[in-house]
Amino acid sequence: MIAHKKILTDEMVAKIEALAPRYPNRRALTLPALHIVNAELRHVPLDAVVEIAALLGLAPAEVQDTLTFYQFFHQEKPHGKVRAFVCRSVSCALRGGDHLLEHLCRKHGVEPYGTTSDGELTIEPAECLGACDFAPCILANDDLLKNMTPEAAEAELKKPRARAT
Amino acid sequence: MPTIIVDGQEIEIGADERLNCIEAARRAGKEIPHYCWHPGLSVVASCRMCLIETGSRDAATGKITMVPKLVPGCQTPVKDGTVIVTESQLVKDSRARVEEALLIDHPIDCPICDKAGECLLQDYHFQHGQAERRADLHPFTSRRRDVGPTVTLFVDRCIMCTRCVRFTREVSGTAELMVTSRGAKEEIDVFPGHPLDNKLSGNVVDLCPVGALGDKDFLYQQRVWFMKREANVCGGCSAGCSIHTEHNQDTIYRLKPRENPHVNGWWICDEGRYGWHHVHDPARIVAAGRRALTGGAFTTVEWHDVVGRLRDDLKSAGRLAVAVSPMLTVEEAWMLCAVARSIDPEAFLAVGHVPRQGADETFPGGFTIRGEKCPNRLGVEAVVALFDPAVRSWDDLVTHVRGGKANAVWITAAYPGPWLDEAAAAAFAGLDCLVVQDLFESPLTALATWQLPAAGFAERAGTWVNVAHRAQSFGQAVRPPAGVWPEGRLFWNMLGRRGLYDPDAVRRQVAESSAALVALAGEIPPHGVDLRIAQLA
Amino acid sequence: MTTASQPVLLEAVGVPDGHTIASYRSRGGYAPLEQVLAGKQPADVIEMVKSSGLRGRGGAGFPTGLKWTFLPKDHPGPIYLCINADESEPGTFNNRILMEDDPHQVLEGIILSSYATRASTAYLYLRYEYPQSWHRLQAAIDEAYAAGYLGKNIRGSGFSLDVYLHRGAAAYICGEETGLIESLEGKRAWPRIKPPFPAIEGLFRKPTVVNNIETMACVAQIARRGVDWFKSIGVPADPNNPRDPGSYGPKLYCLSGHVEKPGCYEAPLGITARQLIDGQGGGVWKGRRAKAVIPGGISMGLMTESELDTPLDFAGPGKVGCLGLGTAAVVVIDDQTSIVDFLHNSCRFFAHESCGQCTPCREGTSWSLRMLERIKAGKGRLRDLDLLAEIGGTMGMMPGSTICGLADGAAWPIKNAIKKFRGEFEDYIKRTNPSGWMVTDPVPALQIVGAH
Repeated sequence: MIAHKKILTDEMVAKIEALAPRYPNRRALTLPALHIVNAELRHVPLDAVVEIAALLGLAPAEVQDTLTFYQFFHQEKPHGKVRAFVCRSVSCALRGGDHLLEHLCRKHGVEPYGTTSDGELTIEPAECLGACDFAPCILANDDLLKNMTPEAAEAELKKPRARAT
Repeated sequence: MPTIIVDGQEIEIGADERLNCIEAARRAGKEIPHYCWHPGLSVVASCRMCLIETGSRDAATGKITMVPKLVPGCQTPVKDGTVIVTESQLVKDSRARVEEALLIDHPIDCPICDKAGECLLQDYHFQHGQAERRADLHPFTSRRRDVGPTVTLFVDRCIMCTRCVRFTREVSGTAELMVTSRGAKEEIDVFPGHPLDNKLSGNVVDLCPVGALGDKDFLYQQRVWFMKREANVCGGCSAGCSIHTEHNQDTIYRLKPRENPHVNGWWICDEGRYGWHHVHDPARIVAAGRRALTGGAFTTVEWHDVVGRLRDDLKSAGRLAVAVSPMLTVEEAWMLCAVARSIDPEAFLAVGHVPRQGADETFPGGFTIRGEKCPNRLGVEAVVALFDPAVRSWDDLVTHVRGGKANAVWITAAYPGPWLDEAAAAAFAGLDCLVVQDLFESPLTALATWQLPAAGFAERAGTWVNVAHRAQSFGQAVRPPAGVWPEGRLFWNMLGRRGLYDPDAVRRQVAESSAALVALAGEIPPHGVDLRIAQLA
Repeated sequence: MTTASQPVLLEAVGVPDGHTIASYRSRGGYAPLEQVLAGKQPADVIEMVKSSGLRGRGGAGFPTGLKWTFLPKDHPGPIYLCINADESEPGTFNNRILMEDDPHQVLEGIILSSYATRASTAYLYLRYEYPQSWHRLQAAIDEAYAAGYLGKNIRGSGFSLDVYLHRGAAAYICGEETGLIESLEGKRAWPRIKPPFPAIEGLFRKPTVVNNIETMACVAQIARRGVDWFKSIGVPADPNNPRDPGSYGPKLYCLSGHVEKPGCYEAPLGITARQLIDGQGGGVWKGRRAKAVIPGGISMGLMTESELDTPLDFAGPGKVGCLGLGTAAVVVIDDQTSIVDFLHNSCRFFAHESCGQCTPCREGTSWSLRMLERIKAGKGRLRDLDLLAEIGGTMGMMPGSTICGLADGAAWPIKNAIKKFRGEFEDYIKRTNPSGWMVTDPVPALQIVGAH
């Protein structure tokens, strides 16, 4: 039997454990743990869920239950190095948010939530990014792209970008 | 005593009782419909089917003040003066809307769904739902998803009551089931590689109000409206869980737990739930057989002839020893001892082999599976004690027989599977008369001169006493195959009693002669009776 | 009522390095905290906040000081304070600005509130989509620990407090207080049934208060400038209505949508939508007129153009059939926008965000989205408007049919849109579905389009 290769690195585990004193039980580490793994791997594969569950003393189904609720963590494969959240809530929609999303998806040949084949870019609809003063806007990793037009967005998304926190 | 007013009707509840509105309304004969609430699980109030109007009646003035909005009956406790309204237009409209909402995306699977006939979605639709569909039409059939070795899931039939998920987290403590995703896209699932596979798995099928969770053992076997239900007790271990045996034309199709707050609550274990197949195993011994020499073929003896010839054989052999199986009822045990002593006044009476498998296992919700895999050791011991205070064990019997102190041995068994090997059986070789009364052939029947069929648990009528000294009585659910006389009928006839075997009469007779079993004298209520309390009284 | 001329809550906006502790102190920050710790009891702080008339800024407008008094007296602890920084109500962004530009103002409010409620730990639940706020807040927390305003025995007072950031994952329902609590505990964010209320049994089943970011900023300013200052701003309580707590203090109004100058503007509670749009907002964009205006985040519903003189205080929007003031996020929809598109956007949002726990919301939000999709696809019926109005009228905490208020928020735009703009819906349906608008029997569903 081939030994299962660990997904969680020692560094990830250390980061998770460092947060343990903040909470009175281990279950509260679930969401922070998912973020720590996701920040590193750009997704949380099923095997990672098993390891997180073991680390926290939970059943894998309990962690997966929480994970899938947020509709936020990719699981099958990593999302793009740039994860572009295109806002489609009312204030951005009133100023072209839906058209922006549709344009970008078409231009990069992906469906919403899809990743380009080179693994560089994921385009996802987002609900109200809280930047309605700069609608329509896009959150690309840590950067808020303001007052976007399709052309400005294309230019921005070509730029290399630091990974998300 | 606190008084609750349900649809204008006053009912009193106990001063110490903690009831919700559903439980209180039931006392007034009103059933508030509900899906997600279950007395054995946490309260989530998410289905919203139990929404009712409530209020309170001022104790001094009698004035009734109603809460201005609907509240879930399941999460609202009642106290003195609580007013419950279950039939106002507001309540009826709310129920109709919840039903409509659940049916919008429900597959039209009734013709192929096991749950038809016992489905709350169906029942409530007819009782509380709207006559016509208003939502868009998209007829479809449910996807099916394997969630474990014994349970299957029809994903789209699920109404998200989450009873099954809560069961695996709160009662079995195994947490295999989960909800995935969010909103109208939610589904029940298991984590890949971690199937629903615990010793209490089958209970989630009972809990499911609709046909989403299905029992693989029962799937497509029988329509529920053809089945009859008999109140029984599981014979799998000494817990003595109350069950219903569901059957049609003498065939068992499934077992379901029967609520018993003193024994099993609302649950049974999978071993008990699926432990009925042996009753219909074609390999069962179904004829009374006798042979002159060990090794020759059995000759079938007609049952009326068995009564006399068996007695003659045992009497002529002399020095009788009997194993009274802990699978037998109190009544059967008593009659067997009486028959034995009528043949040989010094017959050696022993409690039969007590099968043990593993340790007792208690689950987080409190449910316990016992390692003692027979239902009536305590009952049989109490009966044997009436005839011999020494209450010999199976090991004592083996020593007795090995010591050459018996010529005739009658072993009652009725175990659902193999229970002894050749080495253990060898102690009984070379007897003048060996009677083995069992379900299946074994190394022991290979040595027997008389091979008698035993009854399967659902073919038995009588009383068992569980590990907690609770006596439960039950009737015969299915008739044994091929005209087999169960032990009770054979012993009744061997005692020379007239007419059909009457276990109640025997039970009352036993109660008269036993201080330990005195509580068996009266009617036994459906949840049984605690023998120790009756003794103290 | 007097108006405030200088921004107070937004005093750090535009100030270089305004987010640092040095800048905050130079503006008078943390001195109030030191004074309170040196000479006041927790009960004094509760009394101060109660007297100020401060009402929660997160959307419900519940009197803050009163909420604090629901905590059990003499509880052995721990008591928790949760700061709701999950700001996700469409149109709302004032918390973001407060956290990015003046995190110490928020922090001082948190420390004062924790002192008042005897909380030993404050968890700041921050939505994922605010990475800049995350960095600014963490830096501010580190500065506060270094300065001795957080940690053990703060300033020798005997009071200890830890503040931790906890990051969300893009689910709107985590802004509901018990949804937030469930999320913090590591579970899916399904709001809890009440009772028990969080003050009795909240986070980790301990007494918990959940407060909004802007509310915390107000607490800091009340401590600095005084109760009288706070009460001098806004709309006083109606003397004829003993149940009216008034609408006191400055408010951050978010203005967005079809205006010339979208932005976050500080004004006394009670400014009207028209004043805000035409004043700070520079008017409806492109010289157009407003068709409809959301008064306080999409959940509050719609005001018509003729209703724009409604004061935006806690009582105003309700008088024109909206759900309430909500987050005071004003979104302008111009007269060239189809109200059908608006309602579709709203239904899509709520169907996506419904937590799915209780039947009326899970199925009602899904059903209404599908009807809007079918209407937009040119297969709508007049009958659909009746069904939508019924869903809008029956889904929510107010009739008692759901566990939390997301359903009320989903219902109100439907209710208002159908009632106030029915003509436009009818015209659209008749125009786009000339052969089928009159059908009353159920029609085949569109290919089911998920909201996700």
